[in-house]
Amino acid sequence: MQDINLTDLFVSLTGRLGLNYEFLATGYEAQIWRDGFITTLYLIALLIPVSLVAGLLFAACLTSGRVWLSTPVRAFVEITRNTPTLVQLMFSFLVLNTFVSDLVGGAQNNPLSPFFWVVAVVGLHIAALHAEAIRAGIEAVPASTVEAARGVGFSQLQILQYVQVPLAFRASLPAIVNNLINLVKLTTVGNAIAVSEITYASIMVWTQRDNVVSMMIVILAFFSLINLVVARIGLWVERRLAVPGYGL
Amino acid sequence: MTAATLFQPRRSSKILRNVGFVALPLLVLVWSLADLTLGRELLEWIPYLASGFAMNILIALCAMVLGTLVGVLFGILELVPYRLLRYPVVAYVQIFRNAPHLVLIFATTYIFPFEIVVFGNYLPFPDWVKAVIGLAIPASAYIAEITRGAILSIPTTQWEAAKGLGFSRNQTLRRIILPQCLRRSLPPWMNVAASITMGTALASLVGVHELLHAATDASTAVRRLDFTVIAYIVVMAAFFTLCYPIARLTRRLERRFNAA
Amino acid sequence: MSPTKLTKLLFGLALSISALTSTQASADATLDRIKGRGTLTVGVILSGAPFGYIDPKTQAQKGFNLDIAQALADDLGVKLETVTVTPPNRVQFLQQGKVDILIANMQYTEDRAKILDHVPTPYDRSGGAAVVRKDSGLKDWADLKGKPVCVSQGSNYTQPLMEEYGAVVKALPSQPESLLALQGGNCVAAVHVGATVGLLLQDRSEEWKDYAIPFPTELIPSDSVIWLRKGEKDTQAALDAGVKKLHTSGKLLEFAKANRLLNTEYLQRANKTLSASK
Repeated sequence: MQDINLTDLFVSLTGRLGLNYEFLATGYEAQIWRDGFITTLYLIALLIPVSLVAGLLFAACLTSGRVWLSTPVRAFVEITRNTPTLVQLMFSFLVLNTFVSDLVGGAQNNPLSPFFWVVAVVGLHIAALHAEAIRAGIEAVPASTVEAARGVGFSQLQILQYVQVPLAFRASLPAIVNNLINLVKLTTVGNAIAVSEITYASIMVWTQRDNVVSMMIVILAFFSLINLVVARIGLWVERRLAVPGYGL
Repeated sequence: MTAATLFQPRRSSKILRNVGFVALPLLVLVWSLADLTLGRELLEWIPYLASGFAMNILIALCAMVLGTLVGVLFGILELVPYRLLRYPVVAYVQIFRNAPHLVLIFATTYIFPFEIVVFGNYLPFPDWVKAVIGLAIPASAYIAEITRGAILSIPTTQWEAAKGLGFSRNQTLRRIILPQCLRRSLPPWMNVAASITMGTALASLVGVHELLHAATDASTAVRRLDFTVIAYIVVMAAFFTLCYPIARLTRRLERRFNAA
Repeated sequence: MSPTKLTKLLFGLALSISALTSTQASADATLDRIKGRGTLTVGVILSGAPFGYIDPKTQAQKGFNLDIAQALADDLGVKLETVTVTPPNRVQFLQQGKVDILIANMQYTEDRAKILDHVPTPYDRSGGAAVVRKDSGLKDWADLKGKPVCVSQGSNYTQPLMEEYGAVVKALPSQPESLLALQGGNCVAAVHVGATVGLLLQDRSEEWKDYAIPFPTELIPSDSVIWLRKGEKDTQAALDAGVKKLHTSGKLLEFAKANRLLNTEYLQRANKTLSASK
């Protein structure tokens, strides 16, 4: 009961400012909208580890020096970086998904949902950006440091494990945080294939009610907040891991 | 590692990189030649698709011009000593750098009126212009940060030295600092340009007649699965052929400036 | 920058945006403007035959809705200009004044009537039909409970599907995407205006041979009306006269036949009753 009163109060207060949040008092629209916030947060929470793991794999392939490994990954990275994510998403959802359906013998057996395709497309897109950042980081490790490690008697693998990767990670961290902010923003393309994230939920409300401005303010505030948090955490990790005397 | 093993991957990756320029258009060509009925269908729709892509290029160019003008100005304003001027600009940059492009396109399309009154004349305010503004907003926020970073990267001693030589603050900025900034900020600026160019595809979701929208129209009319597939590949090929050279050039410039 | 400062700035920005939009009130002079400019701007939807589609040969816009728009423009003695709209943006385009009226597969609902006005005489009557796989075993609307159903964003079928039948609605940007999602197996049914999907299944029987429209009833059958902004009485009256004329002269029936509308029962009845009352 308390909850409903608070909602009413909010609706009437914002109504006085010329904003329209009347849908909060209704059934299904308010439900979709609340779920929209949760879906967006869930997408982000899932995509960050997915993109990081895939990015590391890509970077390992790119720097492996084996042509049969690096060539396909390089081709994938270039395509995903240089074509719009929305087009990739539509292509995956409408075309690849149909192929998968044919492969498993009919659409009814296809376990892949729109949610899966958003995670796959956005996750791999950001992973390609991570891979470039990590690769640049590995290349930025001073040759003298590697020499020194070799001189102390580290094996090639040990050098990678104890010297190159830790230093490369630190060097590429700002770029990775930047990519994660892009990741948060990219989750909005999900609305094109009916993933019920916050933009989709807002479209569902404003097409019936014509209150675009009110919905926009909430979306912009929501994304500013998430990205503020992501940037803050990134800064914190950067400070925690900072090696005295290395880097800026 | 011997010289041969070093040479081998580098040559193959060079070939691969150059193949990148034409690979996707080539795929489209080969497929339409292999299945002539499909090729003929595609040929019929090419002018329609091309008119869509022209819109993408137009939106991207306008958004970058507008975004650069506003962004450079805001980047300088972020560093002025007056709080009253600085804080609103900092807030603008913070909010719109973090806002999804798609949301901004939705916002400008649905919030701005369809025409504006200037001295009693009705000026139309078409959709694509709204998409331009929707993309120019984040572009200006990124470019403001790039400009600010570039100005800060110039050692303060240069300001002092210029002062010592009798340059005013304004003259120092125009004659000494900004030319150097230009060079440093060119690669990140090109990254923004590529990102905004790809962002133009989002305008299809608000009904601007651009390439992705045209491809959807075409596949609705033709209703053949293989046509739908090739239409999307054409869309990807068009964007790739536009953005890949930009990305290549950016990396080359980055390397050259880093070496210098 | 501290979070409190950011919050304050954000609030200030929000206020300035809302102030900006509250100043753009639309004047009630649409009919004068239409006559003054000499063009009637109509928002049409191109979701496929018979209502609106792009002709593959000439790449011109065609369909029942386009014919009506042309006839109404002729009736007002002005030129026709069409703007393509999609379900998620049509109401905004009308509210902004980008289009004068909407002839865009929008049926009468009470919720829509709260924010928009409409021409009282409908030009057709239709409801939603569900395209499902033949082997899905779905027999009626109630069978959709808890199952994923594809619609267009902004569709008026969303609410009844969710609230009455408990379906999990997935809304895609437009009808072609929704149907492709159905074929890809992302939903068990796609619900759209009956006549479009009916004709699609008939015309593309090869591609759609595994699919059917098995439900005996249409979802919320209601009047297809022309929508306009609130309070534009003059335009409403002029268009109402135009639509009535199209009914009595039999033009609407002609358009329906030329565009192969499957069910012209409503139009025949309207033709008779309106002609009789004259």
